[in-house]
Amino acid sequence: MSGPVAIYIHVPFCPSKCGYCDFNSFAMTGPIQGETVDAMEHEIRTSPHAGRPAKTIFFGGGTPTYLEASQLARLLQAVLDTHPAGAETEITTESNPGTVTLEKLGALRQAGFNRLSLGAQSFATQDLVQLGRVHGVAEIAEAVTAARQAGFENLNLDLMFGLPGQNLARWRNNLDQALALHPDHLSLYGLTIEPNTRFFRYFQRGWLDLPAEDTMVAMYEEAVARMTAAGLEPYEISNFARPGRRCQHNLAYWRAEEYIGYGPGAVGRIGTRRGTNLKHPARYVEAVRAGEPLWLEEEELSHDDLRLERIMLGIRIEEGLDLAAVPLSDTAIASVTEPGWATTEGDRLRLTPAGRHFASEVAVRLA
Amino acid sequence: MDQSLIRNFCIIAHIDHGKSTLADRILEVTGAVRGHAQEQMLDTMDLERERGITIKMTAVRMNFTAKDGKTYQFNLIDTPGHVDFTYEVSRALYACEGALLVVDSTQGVEAQTIANASMAMNQNLAIIPVVNKMDLPHADLEMAKDEIENALMIDASEAIPCSAKSGMGITDILEAVVERIPPPTGDKEASLRALIFDSHFDTYQGAVAYVRVVDGEVKPGDKIRMMSTGKTFDVDEVGVFRPRLERGQALRTGEVGFITGAIKTIGDAAVGDTVTSAENSAVEPLPGYRKAKPMVFCGLYPTDSDQYADLREAIEKLQLNDSSLQFEPETSAALGFGFRCGFLGLLHMEIARERLEREFNLDLILTAPSVDYQVYMNDGSMLHISNPSELPSPNHIQRIEEPMVDATIMVPNDYVGAVMTLCQDRRGVYKKTEYPSQTRCLIYYSLPLGEILLDFFDKLKSSTRGYASLDYEFSGYQDSDLVKVDILLNGDQVDALSFIVNKQFAYYRGKAIVEQLRKVVPRQQYEVKIQAAIGSKIISADVIKPFRKNVIAKCYGGDVSRKRKLLEKQKKGKKRMKNIGSIEVPQEAFLSVLRVAE
Repeated sequence: MSGPVAIYIHVPFCPSKCGYCDFNSFAMTGPIQGETVDAMEHEIRTSPHAGRPAKTIFFGGGTPTYLEASQLARLLQAVLDTHPAGAETEITTESNPGTVTLEKLGALRQAGFNRLSLGAQSFATQDLVQLGRVHGVAEIAEAVTAARQAGFENLNLDLMFGLPGQNLARWRNNLDQALALHPDHLSLYGLTIEPNTRFFRYFQRGWLDLPAEDTMVAMYEEAVARMTAAGLEPYEISNFARPGRRCQHNLAYWRAEEYIGYGPGAVGRIGTRRGTNLKHPARYVEAVRAGEPLWLEEEELSHDDLRLERIMLGIRIEEGLDLAAVPLSDTAIASVTEPGWATTEGDRLRLTPAGRHFASEVAVRLA
Repeated sequence: MDQSLIRNFCIIAHIDHGKSTLADRILEVTGAVRGHAQEQMLDTMDLERERGITIKMTAVRMNFTAKDGKTYQFNLIDTPGHVDFTYEVSRALYACEGALLVVDSTQGVEAQTIANASMAMNQNLAIIPVVNKMDLPHADLEMAKDEIENALMIDASEAIPCSAKSGMGITDILEAVVERIPPPTGDKEASLRALIFDSHFDTYQGAVAYVRVVDGEVKPGDKIRMMSTGKTFDVDEVGVFRPRLERGQALRTGEVGFITGAIKTIGDAAVGDTVTSAENSAVEPLPGYRKAKPMVFCGLYPTDSDQYADLREAIEKLQLNDSSLQFEPETSAALGFGFRCGFLGLLHMEIARERLEREFNLDLILTAPSVDYQVYMNDGSMLHISNPSELPSPNHIQRIEEPMVDATIMVPNDYVGAVMTLCQDRRGVYKKTEYPSQTRCLIYYSLPLGEILLDFFDKLKSSTRGYASLDYEFSGYQDSDLVKVDILLNGDQVDALSFIVNKQFAYYRGKAIVEQLRKVVPRQQYEVKIQAAIGSKIISADVIKPFRKNVIAKCYGGDVSRKRKLLEKQKKGKKRMKNIGSIEVPQEAFLSVLRVAE
C-alpha cells in the first residue's frame, strides 16, 4: 500500500515529568535537544517511506512546544518535504499551557500547524499541583486566547478525571470551565495508574485517595451529557468534537490504518510489522549518527493479533466496528448485544452509551 | 544363581534424607551405572523427579563381589516415600529380607521413617541403620544414633556413617548387606508363588508385573494364574532391570524381576497379588493381598464441556498405569459431565491432576476432595457417600460415620503445644506422647481423615517452622455429628461446592468459604450473592458487587500493542473459568474449602 498515511512525530522532552505519566518523555535540557532535533530531521529525510503522501501529521510527546518554534518548523518542513501534504491536511501539535506565547503560537501557525492540542488536564489548582503540571489555572485560558489570536481554528483541550481527591462537584466545575473556553475538541481521560510512575508508587503505599468506580462512571456520564449539550459529539470513548473537527489523525489509529512514527520512542505500523524506535534521546541520536537501525523492538503481528486490534479499536469509535472487515459469529455478537452493550446495524457494530464503560469486556467477548 | 548368594533389600528414608542419592551411589559402586551420568536413577517419571519424591518403585539388579571373594546378586527394591502409598510400601518390604534405614545426620528420625521401619520390623526384615549426610559440617552421628535407638528400638551400635554425596561408607554398606541380610528362604521344588509388588503399563507389552519369586520359578512360555482373580496368562518374557531392561531365561526362587504376558489391564497385575502356575497351582496365596482402597474422592470436570470425551480417554489411559486410581461418571448441575475419582490420598490426587493436564493437555476443574462417609439410613440401609451433594436429607438419616486415622507426629519439644492445639482444632483425640530423644517427641492422635484433607499438613509445617513430620494410617469408621453445608450463588445451589462438616464447625467454615469465594470469584456484570446454608437455613452471606466499568481510558498508536496484550490476558483468564448459570467461576473457587480451615 502506498496511499496517504498518518505520520506521527515524537518529541521526547518535557519541562518536568508528571506523576501519572508513563510516556516516553525526559526532563532534559541543553544540547541534547538540538542534537535530537537534528537526528529526527535526518531520520525523516532518509525515511524508507519517503514519497508516500501524508494523510495527517501529528506532533506529540513529551511536550513538543518545549522545543523552539523554529525547531518544530524545521521538523515539520522535513515531514512535508518527505511526505507531500495538501492544504487541508490536519497538522497537529500537542502543547502545554506555560510553554506557549502568542509569538510562538503565531510562528507555529505560520509554519503550517493548523490544529493545537493543549494539555489542560484540570481547572483546579490542587489537581494541577498534585499531577505535577508546570502551569496554573489562569495560564490555560491565556494559552487558548493566544491560540485563537494566532489563528488556530481547531483547538483541543485534554482533561483528566478520576484524580486523587476529585469529587463530582469539582469535576463539574472543570467541565464548565473547559466548555467556557469554547474548544473545538475535548479529550477526557480517566486516570489510569501505570507501572513505573510516581503515582504507581504512591498507589502501592495507599497514599492516593482515588474516587470509587461508581464515581468514575458518574463523572464520565456527566461529561458526556454536558459535552453533548454544548455541541461536542462523543465520537470516540474519550473524545468529543464539534462537527467537522474530529481528529483525523487519531481516527486513523482507531480504524486500524497504517501509521509511520519518527523520533525517539515513536511507534509505527506498516502492514503486519509494528516497530518502536529507541526510546532514550541519547541512544537514538547515537544510532542515527552511526547509521545503525533505530528499532528498539519490532513485532510481527499475526492474523489474530490484527483482528483483536481491529476489534479493540473499532468499537471505540462512533462509526463502529466494520463487520465486513472483521467477521464475527452470531454467538459472539449476541454476547455483547444481549447485555445491552452494543447494537448492530448493517455491517457495523457499535457500543451503546452503557457499553462504553465495558469496551474491554466487549472486545474480549468478541475476540 | 545359588540362592544363598541373593540379597533382596530396600531403602527406608524420609523425604530429603538422601534415599535416591544413596541408591545412585550403590548403583555406581556395583558398576550397574557408570559415573554420575543420570542422577537419581530410580525415579523414572519426570514428575517424580520434579517433586523429588518417588511415587513408583522399580527394582534393580546388581552384582557385588564381597570381601569373601564371592559375587552376590543384589536386588534393590525402591519404595515410595509418601503416606499415600503405605500399602505399596508394605508389599515392597515383603519382597525383601532386609532394609537400609537411612537417617539424616543433621535431622534425625522422622515420623515416616518410624512408620516404615516399624512395618519392616513387623515383617522381620534385617535392618541396617545408615546415618547419611556425614559430609555436612553440623552432622551429628551420636544424636542420630540415639534417636534410632530410642524412637525405633533398633540397636544403633553398628550404624554405618556414610555420605551418599561424597561416596563415604558405601562399600561398608554393601558388605553389611552381604553379612547382615539373610538370603531368601523359598522352596525351589514347590509350585510357583511370586508376589507382585509393583506394576506398570507398557503400550506394547501390556501390564508389566514386578515380582519377587518366593517359591518355584517362572519362565517364558509358562501358563500363570493370578490368585486373586483366577485369570490366567501366558508368560511372554521374564527379566530384570540393571537398570536397563534385560530379558532372561527364568526368574528363580528368591529372585526379583519382571513378567510380561499380554496382561491387558494393570488391574490384572494387582499389587499384592500372588502369581502361581496355572497347571500346578499353589494352594495358599502369599499373605497380605488387598484391593487398593481409595481414601480421597473428588469430582474431575473439563473446564470446557466439549472436552468430556477427551477427559474420559485421558483418565482411562492414566488408569492403565495406576490401578489405584478409580473413577466413575458423575453429573453435576453446576459443572456438567465429569467423573468422580478416588485416590489413595491428596498427593496421589495432585499427581493425577497434573498428569492429566500436562500429558493430555486438558483444563480441569477439581472439586474439593472428600472422604467416603458411611451413611446409615432410617430404613436400615447403609450408603457410601463420597460426593457431599449426594448426602440424603437429614430426616432420612439415622447416623453418619466418618473415616478416622491414627496419626503419628514427630516434633521438637518446643512445638508440642502448637501441634496439640492444631490437632485439637481438627477434632483430634489425644492418645499418647513418647520421648525418643531429649529434644524431640512423638505425639499420637486419632483424627478424622476429612480434617487431614484440609490444609492440616501445611498448618502443621507452618506452626512448627517446618520441623514436624507426619504419618497416619486408616483406623476405621466412627460416628460423627456431620452436616452438609451448601453454597448458593445468586440463590442457586452449586452442587460442586457443597461440603460435609462436623456440626460444631459448620458456621465457621461456612462463613470462611463465603469470604474465600468473595475473594476468588471476580466481579461480574451483575451483583453476585454468595450464601452458605444448612438445609434452608442461611448461615452466612456476602455480595460481590458488579463491575461498573472495564474500559481502556485511551488508546493511540503507541498504546495499541500493550493494550492488545492486556485484553489477551483478560481473554485467557476467562477461558479458565467455568460458567455457572451466568456467573464466571474460576477453578480455584472449587478448592476454596481447602483453604478455610483454621
